Amino acid sequence: MRNVPADTQSDRTSGRGEEVRLNEDGVVDWLDLQEEDFAFGAKGGATLSRRDVLRITALAGTGLVLGLCLPVRVHGENGLAWTAPFEPNAWVRVDPDNWVTITAGRPDMGQGVRTSLAMIVADELDADWSRVRIVQAPADMARFGNQGTGGSMSVRSSFGPLRRAGATARAMLVSAAASQWGVAPGSLRVERGVVYDDAGKRKATFGQLAVAASKVAVPEADAVPLKTPDRFTIIGKATPSVDLNAMVTGAAVFGADAAPKEARHAVLARPPKFRGSLKSFDDSAAKKVPGVRQVVASGNGVAVVADHTWAALAGRDALEIVWDDGPHANLNSEAISKQLRAAIPELPPVQAAKVVEAVYEVPYLAHATMEPMNCTVHVQGDRARVWVPTQNPGNVQNTVANVLGIPAANVEVNITLLGGGFGRRISADYAAEAARIAKDVEGPIQLQWSRDDDMRHDNFRPASIHVFRGGVDTSGKPIAWHQRFALASGRDQAMSERGPASQARNRYGIEGTTEAALVGLPIATGPWRSVNETQIVFANECFFDELCVAGGKDPVAMRLEMLGMDRLKAVVRLAAEKSGWGTPMKKGQGRGIACFAGYGSFIAQVCEVEVTDGEVKVLRVVAAIDCGLAINPLGVEQQVEGASIDGLSTALKAAITIENGQIRQTSFSDYGWFEMADTPVIEVHRIVGGEEPGGMGEVGFPAMSPAVANAIFAATGKRLRKLPIRRVPE
Amino acid sequence: MASFALSVNGKKVTVEAEPDMPLLWVLRDLIQLHGTKYGCGVGVCGACVVHLDDDPVRSCMVGVQAVGNRKITTIEGLSTDGSHPVQKAWIAENVPQCGYCQPGQIMEAAALLKKTPRPSRDEIREAMAEHYCRCGTYPRILKAIERAAGVKK
Ligand code: FES
Ligand code: FES
Repeated sequence: MRNVPADTQSDRTSGRGEEVRLNEDGVVDWLDLQEEDFAFGAKGGATLSRRDVLRITALAGTGLVLGLCLPVRVHGENGLAWTAPFEPNAWVRVDPDNWVTITAGRPDMGQGVRTSLAMIVADELDADWSRVRIVQAPADMARFGNQGTGGSMSVRSSFGPLRRAGATARAMLVSAAASQWGVAPGSLRVERGVVYDDAGKRKATFGQLAVAASKVAVPEADAVPLKTPDRFTIIGKATPSVDLNAMVTGAAVFGADAAPKEARHAVLARPPKFRGSLKSFDDSAAKKVPGVRQVVASGNGVAVVADHTWAALAGRDALEIVWDDGPHANLNSEAISKQLRAAIPELPPVQAAKVVEAVYEVPYLAHATMEPMNCTVHVQGDRARVWVPTQNPGNVQNTVANVLGIPAANVEVNITLLGGGFGRRISADYAAEAARIAKDVEGPIQLQWSRDDDMRHDNFRPASIHVFRGGVDTSGKPIAWHQRFALASGRDQAMSERGPASQARNRYGIEGTTEAALVGLPIATGPWRSVNETQIVFANECFFDELCVAGGKDPVAMRLEMLGMDRLKAVVRLAAEKSGWGTPMKKGQGRGIACFAGYGSFIAQVCEVEVTDGEVKVLRVVAAIDCGLAINPLGVEQQVEGASIDGLSTALKAAITIENGQIRQTSFSDYGWFEMADTPVIEVHRIVGGEEPGGMGEVGFPAMSPAVANAIFAATGKRLRKLPIRRVPE
Repeated sequence: MASFALSVNGKKVTVEAEPDMPLLWVLRDLIQLHGTKYGCGVGVCGACVVHLDDDPVRSCMVGVQAVGNRKITTIEGLSTDGSHPVQKAWIAENVPQCGYCQPGQIMEAAALLKKTPRPSRDEIREAMAEHYCRCGTYPRILKAIERAAGVKK
């Protein structure tokens, strides 16, 4: 038996211990996020001058290198704020070998951000798309600021500056050609990476001009015209992902693939119960497992370090651990529901011809990214190298530096492809664990979470309960809408209620009040695709459907009458039209609609279901989207398809439940997720136009689950208000 | 610890391993073939599918000893350059999002088409059961398989 030193235990403030504290320093906490935090350009960007974000400098080199300062989100005295970094955080390079290379600090998580960013630069540059590549920059907080991709802001915040960079590089290449040939720059033409002098019958490739162009003075931003959208040749074209070939051949490098060959493999045994802690452990059997090299008490758990992952896992199974189960050992889902319900005050009375009351409830959700959490750390004296799939490299850098007690500048963070993000990889908890283990081990270690670890030690989408009281007048029109909701919160200090929740107000201009309460619970929570819209939009869009039914009104007609936003109305109209809204369906079938506006985009989804003996089969989803200027329409379609399947899965299958102070689910099979056989036809219709791109990562999710629930009501007359709806009760 | 002579993507490889060490970890951690992915380790997600001869297997569930003298093909060995018809169809339909589940999906689809060159939709759905894709690329996977099979819908 080995006893765990007292100081290791006492530095735990909770089951997730130090991570909670670290989160406060470095992690974007979802509770503090409002939509404007994501909407660069709308509010956040207003404080930045155009000069700040468009600062472009030429750097000495063998070709043309432009550095640009993309706006970043950093923690300051007043919380998160947009700022322009002092040094470039992205580069556009034109090399003599005729490649255009874009180096950017934004990690990808499947949204095709890498592809979109490259497309933006390439278009203004008039580059040859087949000679454009995009390279990931390592994390460096000081220079790059927060490189996170959350809230669909990647493309939106970078759009203007990247265009400017592309146009500037183009102008410099043209100017180099013009002076070589002794002609006016205005007489030259650029197409697919070649500058043409039609009159002089001359041409030169970007590669041939790169060195000369690097000596041209950088033109003033205002002197370089940007294209009008009708002249885009790459933006707006369906463009396959730049990583496609690597992804279908197995060459794509994800987190677990990036570790140096000599890395040892580690797994960590964590307290199974919320806020549990390590008491003692016996590692004699674990050490006998062939391949196991080292067993170390690490933070609040026990790490097994081995030659390969299998030995590490087997070693962990062989550990005899005594846990202190902590104060929440009997917590279960029913008790949590009660606690949430108890936090909701009485709603005001409603004067209406018909009063409608409803209670909606959604469970905790795991992110369950396909690639479980992992992180590789190599500590070398007062320096560290990290290989990590993260949505938030700056946070990883700070977190690892913190754990190791070294300056952040000494931590090199190499960002790999992400096997899914959905908000999970904004937190750096897994990097903190890896660093803590690496401290005690010679050479690099790769910490691998098992699927089970990943399911049970997530930062979950909060469970919530939403209570409504509303009503319709004698003509059937909704005239009252009061709502109170309670969200679970994993933060210790989030015990108090919050006032009016503007984010949750109905979009129909219906009079009433909205208040939210946060209920502190020992279960870690975090941002999940579309953050708290996931719960709110489900409840709100279903309740609106209830009001329509109570008033005898058609839900599409009523939305068109009452919605305040024209672009939202337009997608409702389009989805209705494309789905054949109002045309008869067979018995047992039904159609439902819901809509959502956020992240600069607008969507409506119509869902058709068939219910047979309580089984729900989704027949078809018709989505109408207005995302402004679609950089890559193919990416837009994929995002809507993927987010719709997320919405269907969480509406009909997925739930995280709590039993005896721990998460019950261990894998996809008991969590519940859509498979191919469950997946309906998904049609995506897009409203074309717009000058600015809207966000695409989250917008397809929130309206999907209410659309299904509304369809189930239309099919069966049963209003099911608690997710997931695994069966329709008889 | 024992020695196992394996045929991986047409090459002979000898590994020292415990007989019950899953093929997944032999491939990933002992011979550094990282195309085969770990998703669950308990046979439910499909990320780790490889071929033993022509059969698709979940490599997390097959101990290295159980491989015997069957030939192992991983995503890296399906073609050297992405030219296998299934890979070509995957590219044409722009299937991947994050890409993590795709090696397993592709290997399952390739095995299906080898045995059943023109599968029905139900046959496809059955073969692709318990092949989770958290990014929701199922509609495109279905189209890509039908494209590779030359089935026009
Ligand atoms: S890793 Fe083998 S089936 Fe999931
Ligand atoms: S493409 Fe991301 S899990 Fe399938």
